[in-house]
Amino acid sequence: MSAAELAERALEAAPAGGDALAHAEAERSLMLRFARSRPTQSTAVSDASVEVAVVREGHVGRASTNAADDEALAACGARAAAAADAAARAGGPGPFPGFGPSPAPRSHEGHDRETARLDPATGAAALEVAFAAAADRGVEAHGVWTAGEVDRAVATSAGRTVSERVADAFMKVVCIGPTGRSGYASAAAVAVADIAPAALAGRAAALAAVEDEPAELPPGEYPVVLEAAAVGELLELLGRCAFNGRLHAEGQGALVGRLGTRVAAPAINLSDSPRFPSTLPRGFDAEGVAKAPLPLIEDGVAHAVVHDMASGALAGERSTGHASAPGGESFGPVPSNLVLVGGGAADVAELAAPVERGIYVTRLWYGNVVRADEALVTAVTRDGTFLIEDGEIVRPAADMRLTDDALSVLAGVQALAARAELVSDGELYGRRFARGSVCPAIRSGAVRFSGRVG
Amino acid sequence: MGAAAGRADYADARLVRTRHERVGLRDGAIEALERGEDEGVGVRVRVGGAWGFAACGEPTRAGAERALARALEVARSQRPAGGAELAPEPPARGERSGPCEEDPFAVSLEDKLELLAAADAALRAQPGLAVARSELSALSTDVEFASTEGALFHRRLTECGAGLVATAVNEEGAQVRSWPASHGGSVAQAGFEHVRRLDLSAAAPRVAEEAVALLSAPPCPAGLQTLLLADEQLGLQLHESVGHAVELDRVLGREASYAGTSFVSAHDIGSLRYGSELMNVTADGTSPGGLGTLPWDDEGVEGQAVPIVREGLLRGFLSSRETAAEIGLERSGGCMRADGFARQPLVRMTNVNLEPGGAGTLEDLIADTDSGVLLDTNRSWSIDSHRLQFQFGAEAAWEIRDGRLGRLLRNPTYAGVTPRFWGSLDAVCSASEWRLASVVNCGKGEPGQVARVSHGSAPARFRGVEMGVA
Repeated sequence: MSAAELAERALEAAPAGGDALAHAEAERSLMLRFARSRPTQSTAVSDASVEVAVVREGHVGRASTNAADDEALAACGARAAAAADAAARAGGPGPFPGFGPSPAPRSHEGHDRETARLDPATGAAALEVAFAAAADRGVEAHGVWTAGEVDRAVATSAGRTVSERVADAFMKVVCIGPTGRSGYASAAAVAVADIAPAALAGRAAALAAVEDEPAELPPGEYPVVLEAAAVGELLELLGRCAFNGRLHAEGQGALVGRLGTRVAAPAINLSDSPRFPSTLPRGFDAEGVAKAPLPLIEDGVAHAVVHDMASGALAGERSTGHASAPGGESFGPVPSNLVLVGGGAADVAELAAPVERGIYVTRLWYGNVVRADEALVTAVTRDGTFLIEDGEIVRPAADMRLTDDALSVLAGVQALAARAELVSDGELYGRRFARGSVCPAIRSGAVRFSGRVG
Repeated sequence: MGAAAGRADYADARLVRTRHERVGLRDGAIEALERGEDEGVGVRVRVGGAWGFAACGEPTRAGAERALARALEVARSQRPAGGAELAPEPPARGERSGPCEEDPFAVSLEDKLELLAAADAALRAQPGLAVARSELSALSTDVEFASTEGALFHRRLTECGAGLVATAVNEEGAQVRSWPASHGGSVAQAGFEHVRRLDLSAAAPRVAEEAVALLSAPPCPAGLQTLLLADEQLGLQLHESVGHAVELDRVLGREASYAGTSFVSAHDIGSLRYGSELMNVTADGTSPGGLGTLPWDDEGVEGQAVPIVREGLLRGFLSSRETAAEIGLERSGGCMRADGFARQPLVRMTNVNLEPGGAGTLEDLIADTDSGVLLDTNRSWSIDSHRLQFQFGAEAAWEIRDGRLGRLLRNPTYAGVTPRFWGSLDAVCSASEWRLASVVNCGKGEPGQVARVSHGSAPARFRGVEMGVA
C-alpha cells in the first residue's frame, strides 16, 4: 500500500466533521556500521506509520499508529478526535488556524531507483573499500554506510492529497591512527552512485595518518578556515536559534529586532531551498504545505524566519512549509534545506593563504545552543584540526572548544570557497528524514575558542 | 526462534508494543495533545561475529520470518567480523512489570488538562512572563523476548512525568526557568501518581517569579569558584562525564564514528583515579522508579547494580554480553537497550548514580561553604568525543557568601575536564537528600536511538571550577 493510500484510508476512518489531516510515511532503509575496520552492526527497517490530526475550535489533537488495518486506523482517528474534542472543551477557542489550502508541491528529482534497492552487497563493497584505504595508510576505519527510501503523503479533509517518494544515501568514514589522531570525510546524496567510498576513505585516512605532534593552542580568538562539514554544523545550530519562527515570534530568537538589518558579512547569502542542486529535495512539509525557496540572509541582511502553521498564526504570517508534525512541534519550525552560496576561493589552501596564524577545522561536533537569543553556540572540533601559520596548513592542532555567537562568525566571513557541497551529519532518529545543508568552506576573521579539549 | 536455530550463531527477537501520550499547554492553549501506538518485531542475528538486525512493523509470524530472513541476508553480505563469544547468561524466563499504581492511560484527558490548566494559570499570574508552558507525558512499553538460547520473557514498563517552563523576555534577552527539571520535567518509572505528587501548581508561582527575576539579575561571575550542584544538573554531569565514558562499546572503539570513544581504557579497572575519594558511582539497574531500571535488558540479562567508581577509583563498566566477554568479565552488566522494535540493542546506561556522602542536607552544605555558587536546572550541554572536556550552562545560580544563599545570578556556565573535575569533589550530601533525576533525550547509535535514564545523587560540592565560560 502506498503512503497516499494509507493517508487517505486513515482520513476516511477518522470521525467525520471538521478539519483533519493524515500524514503517512513508509520507510525502507538499510544501515551498515563498521568500527576498527570490521563490520559491527547492520540495521534494516521496513515500517509504515500514519499520524492523524483533527482540529476542533483551534485545537489540534493528534494520534499515530503503525497498524494499517481498518480497525486500527479507525481507533487512531477516534483518538485524535477525542483529543481535539477534549482540548476544545477545556480550553475554549484555540490559536490553530486550520489546515488550509496550499499550492501543489513542485516535482523534484529526489528519488533514485538504484538507491531504493537497498542492496546489502553495495554497502558491503563500500565497507571493504574503506577498510582497504585505511589499511593502506596504517589506520583503522569506523563509520556507516546507509541507504533509504521514504514514501510520504499528506491527505486533508478538504480532499487534497500530496505525496512524494524520496531516496537518500550517506557514508561517513572516521579513520583513527595509532597515535589516536583521527580524520573524517562524509558524503550524502539522493543516489547511492554519487557516494564515492574510496575518495571518502582516502581523505579520512590521510587526515588520520599525520604523525606530527599536535600544536597546543591556548583559548582565545583565532582566524579560522572551516571546512564545509563544520560550516554545516554552525548553520544547523543557527537554524535552531535564529530562523525558528516560533522562538522569533515569542521574542526568544536571535533575529528578534534584526530582520532587515545586516547580521552577516555581505558575502553571506543563505536560503532554505528545497530543490537546490545537490540538496535532498522535499516537496512539502508534514502539514502538506508546499516548500519553496526562502531567502533567509541576502547580502548579509537578515530577511526571514521559517514557519509552520502554528508559528505562522502566532506571528501573523503564513506557513513557509516547515512543519515537522501536523500542528507543529513544541520546539518550533526549523529550516530543512539550508543553502549557503559559495564564493570565489578555489579551495581550502586559498582560504588559508591570508591567515598569519589560525586554525583549520574539518568538523564541529556535539554542537548545542547555549543561549538562543544571543545565537551563542558551542561545539568541539574533531577528526582533523590543524594549525595555520603564514598562510599554510602546517601541522595538527589539539582539538578546541568553539563558543561564539554564530551570527558573529558569519559576520566575520572574509571568503568562501567556490564549491558548495551537501553536508549531513547522518543523524536518523525516529522515522527516517534525511537532511543536510549545502555549503562551502569559509574563512572567518576571529572566532572564539573557549577551551582546549583534553 | 525455531526458524533461526542453525542459521545463525545466536539470534533473538523482540515483539515490542508501545503506547505514548503527551499533553502540553502553552499560554493557556493546547500546544500538544498526541497519542500514539506502534507495534512491531525486531530480529537480531549474529553471524561470524557481526550483528544483523531487521525490523518489521508487522507483528505477525510472517513479519517475524521476513525480518529474520532480511537480518540473515544483511549479516551474511559482510565479511565475518570474528568477535568474542557472548558472556554466558542463564536464559531469562518469566513475566515482570514495573511499578504503576495509577494507569496513566486510564486517566481522562479532561483530568490531565485540568491539572495542566491549573499550573498554567499559576504561571501566568506572574506579571511580565512571556511564555508559560506545562506538559505531561506517559509511555508504556511491552516487550516479549525470545532467543535461540531458550530465553522467553514478557516485560511491561510504565513511565510518567510532567514539568513546567516559564520564559521571560525583555530587550536584553530571554530567561527561562523550568521545574522540576528542563527537557520534559521529572519522569519516572511509575504511573500517574508520580505526576500528581509533583504538584505542579504549587511550584508554578516560584518558577514564574524566578524567570522574571533573572531578567534583572547580575550575570554569574567568571573565574575559578566553588560550585554546588544538585538534582538534574548533577545528574547530567554524571550522565555525560561518567555514564557515557564507561560504556564498554565506546571504550572498545565501537562507537568511534558517532558517539565517540572514551578517555577510559578497558585495562583501567582498579587503577584509574576518576575522582576524589568521596566519589562512589554505581550503575544500578534496580533503582526503584529509575528509567534505567529493567527486570531484564534487551538481550535477556537480569537488572543488577554494578560498581563503577569506588573511593575515586574506576571499578567497572556498562556492558553487554559481547563487550563483557571481550574484556574477560564474567557477566554482562545488563545494559543493552533498544529504542522500540525498529532499533537493535546498544550498551546504554542503567541508572548511573552518585552514592550519598555524609555532608548532611543542602542547607548544611551551603552553611559549610564560605564562597561559591549553587547552580540549578540544565540549559545547555556539550562534551568532547572522549568524554573529557565538557561545558554546561544552567538556568539559574545563587551566590553563596559566608554560608548563606545570596543573590540570584543569570547565565551561569562552567567547564571542566572529567577526572580533574571529579577530583575536586569535596563534599556529598547525605542519603536523606538523595533522589533521582531523569534524562529523557539521550541520543546514541546509528540509526539514532533515544534512551531514557535516571541518575540518583545528593547535592555535591566541587572546588576550583572554571565558571563563566560562555
